[in-house]
Amino acid sequence: MAVFNRFETAIDAGIGRRRLGYLLLGLVLLFFLWFPNDASQSNYAKTVFISGFFYAIMASSWALLAGIAGQFSFGHMAFMGIGAYVAGLIARDGFIIAGLGIQITPESISAIGAIIVGTVVAGLVGLVIGWLLLRLRAAYLALFTIAFAELFRIAMLTEYDYTGGSNGLSLRPLIEVAEVDTARQIEYYLMFALLIVCLLLMYRVVNSPIGMFLRAMREDEDAASALGVNVVRYKILVFVFTSMIVGLAGAIFYSDVGSERIIPEQLEVLQMSLIIAYAVIGGMESLIGAAAGAFISRYMLEAMREVVITLPFGLTMADGSDAFTWETGAWRFALFGLVMVFTLRYMRNGLLYPIINWFSGRDLVMKKTVSKRHDWDDDPAQLEGRDE
Amino acid sequence: MKRRRMFMNCVALLAIFALLPIGMAQADGHCEFADYTITLGNLAPLSAPGAVAGGIAMDWAAKQAAADINADCGIQIDGVNHQVAVVTGDSEGSPERGQAVAERLILEDEVDAMLGVYHSAVGLATMGIMEANQIPTVFSEPWNDNVSANGIREFDGAPPRFEDGIDHIFRISPASSMVGSVVVDWLLSLGVDDVVLIVENTDYGQPAAADEKARFEAAGATVSQIDVELGTEDFVPILSRIQARAEAPDVIRIIVTGETSFNLTQQMSELGVAPSADTICVTNQFAFQSEQYWATVPDGNYCAFNRVGIIPSLFSDAAVALNAKYEMEFGDIVPSFAMATYDAVYIIADAMERAGSYTDAAAIVGAIEATDLDLSQGRYYFRFGGHNPDLPEGTPEFMWHQWPDPIVTVMQYFEPGQSGLDAAVIYPEVYQTHGTSYIVPGTSP
Repeated sequence: MAVFNRFETAIDAGIGRRRLGYLLLGLVLLFFLWFPNDASQSNYAKTVFISGFFYAIMASSWALLAGIAGQFSFGHMAFMGIGAYVAGLIARDGFIIAGLGIQITPESISAIGAIIVGTVVAGLVGLVIGWLLLRLRAAYLALFTIAFAELFRIAMLTEYDYTGGSNGLSLRPLIEVAEVDTARQIEYYLMFALLIVCLLLMYRVVNSPIGMFLRAMREDEDAASALGVNVVRYKILVFVFTSMIVGLAGAIFYSDVGSERIIPEQLEVLQMSLIIAYAVIGGMESLIGAAAGAFISRYMLEAMREVVITLPFGLTMADGSDAFTWETGAWRFALFGLVMVFTLRYMRNGLLYPIINWFSGRDLVMKKTVSKRHDWDDDPAQLEGRDE
Repeated sequence: MKRRRMFMNCVALLAIFALLPIGMAQADGHCEFADYTITLGNLAPLSAPGAVAGGIAMDWAAKQAAADINADCGIQIDGVNHQVAVVTGDSEGSPERGQAVAERLILEDEVDAMLGVYHSAVGLATMGIMEANQIPTVFSEPWNDNVSANGIREFDGAPPRFEDGIDHIFRISPASSMVGSVVVDWLLSLGVDDVVLIVENTDYGQPAAADEKARFEAAGATVSQIDVELGTEDFVPILSRIQARAEAPDVIRIIVTGETSFNLTQQMSELGVAPSADTICVTNQFAFQSEQYWATVPDGNYCAFNRVGIIPSLFSDAAVALNAKYEMEFGDIVPSFAMATYDAVYIIADAMERAGSYTDAAAIVGAIEATDLDLSQGRYYFRFGGHNPDLPEGTPEFMWHQWPDPIVTVMQYFEPGQSGLDAAVIYPEVYQTHGTSYIVPGTSP
């Protein structure tokens, strides 16, 4: 601890925590930009990264919705699915708005056009759901969104004539480049750019007065309303905003960027709980924390598919080798569960949250305004520290 | 005397222990193997939301086949023996994960061929990866018609996904269209015209029910469909509704899988709804796993069920041997997808031997097309492919690189606790084992 304190003092006196944080962030960005150009990396590694970027968008947007705005929704995967399914169906069948005389044929709409329509529809459904949820809080809100997500999943499963049921819906490919390596490189940068743009947009919202209102809503809706926060407006706003982000991410990811088809099983509550787990492990009150948690978790879940175990004490296997490969199967999820248990028990704000806050130089402030807020009621000494 | 006998017994025992490793070494070392081990990638669902039980059986079957091939000196290429190893990748039943795992197997593990796949969605999503990387592939369980359809253009408005045709993908499981008609044809042949379908609300249940319903209605039968969620435990309200009808239906067809189907069948039998003198009970292929079936459906005698895969009366020596190994491992009869996965390894191994290469994808594909091999599920061959590219008028496109003879039958129990191996095959007529198309409850064939 003394070593850490000395390190902390040296950093504060030298480059400064925040600068060091920016420096490290810059290095991470450079790494991601350089990665696909590393000739030793196969397309598989890029695929894992693309998947990691997608889940980073999912987890960080859920962190905005639940961790910052306090709307504990289980409907996130459903909104993602709406974006993807609508984009796929529009590109395949077109659509007609009879009253307005609008007719879009499959030939006249591009993959990008379909993705935009998917994103807008996800936002519109988010608007309706946000409006319906106005008076619901906590467990009721969670139950409502579970019901909505299941309703959507079952609809996609049952209407297999249109959606392909569990065989899935194949979306129009967004990148039509014949050369596989080049295509994968483009897909990688596209998904990475989407993650950065989404994070910047969400960061902008969180660090604006709107972000403050959202946090106020999370702490106490009635108090926020009494202080003049238009709770109705911001509740709907955050639902529409996050729905559009995940709708866009889903429509792009399943347009053969990360996967060539979406299936209803992808919208199950189990998959949603994984998104929540990623955000919790990273830190659900931090966009970067949740995104990093999702990326690292996805990477680890892939890396742990096969674990090579070297035998200790000079022990050997029957064939003379001193190591064996463990195909982990479902066990890697059990190990992942252990990390989750550890996080919830000992680091409720996520494994990455303390690191991010340390670099931002806000660790003490955040500790006093978020993590320990309930303890202050019991401990006047801590309450005094709040004013520092 | 007694002490001497004890001494002699000890000596004999020691001699056995001393000789055992030598014997094992000889058994292990009777083949000289090349340094390079041929690696086959197996895609199977080993975690949720995939069908984990199916994935475990497929993983076991592929590795058992590799072990059996290695015990017989592996794959011989140009007179040199190569050991074969199987690496199973967990597809999780998800196209997205399946794609990633397929790439890992091909690019990181550098497999020489691929096999397996349980879920059709995973098969459809991974085909492009196998094609792009030119990996000879034998799918052993996905049923979707498009899996083996040549030059399929699933997405309208986009160029064909495989403009040059599906060169590298083969399938030895049946296409959905090959399975759907058998139960309906059987029931229509019995003259039923009032059908109740109890259907699970899943990808398996809904399309299967729609297909059967259309076939029944086309033949003039009346069909009522009742949807249920997987995991439902109490079916009494549904069954009471059926009982309250003025006339009992001719047949209750259960299109529900797993434990839920067993619960439903038991409650139906217990209430006397079906099987009965008036109503035929038709459950699904999971009833063939008789250990599980009788443990949860003790009153389910005289229920019929469809079976995909070779029927017990036609089990070859290879099938009997495989079944014995499976029973030893899992305590039940080997399911068709495990047999198909086992056979897929042999088909690839045989093709590599005939192609004289484990790297020349075109030669291996050509050799698979020319397969003529008797394995656990029967004689394997591929009627249409590069060797015979012109599908005659009316032949469905899925027949490309498709094994044409997967056996689909209807079977029926007629004794409580009966093994699936002893159940009567009642349809099609050509496979009948007890000379009847239906065993009326309370009678013996």
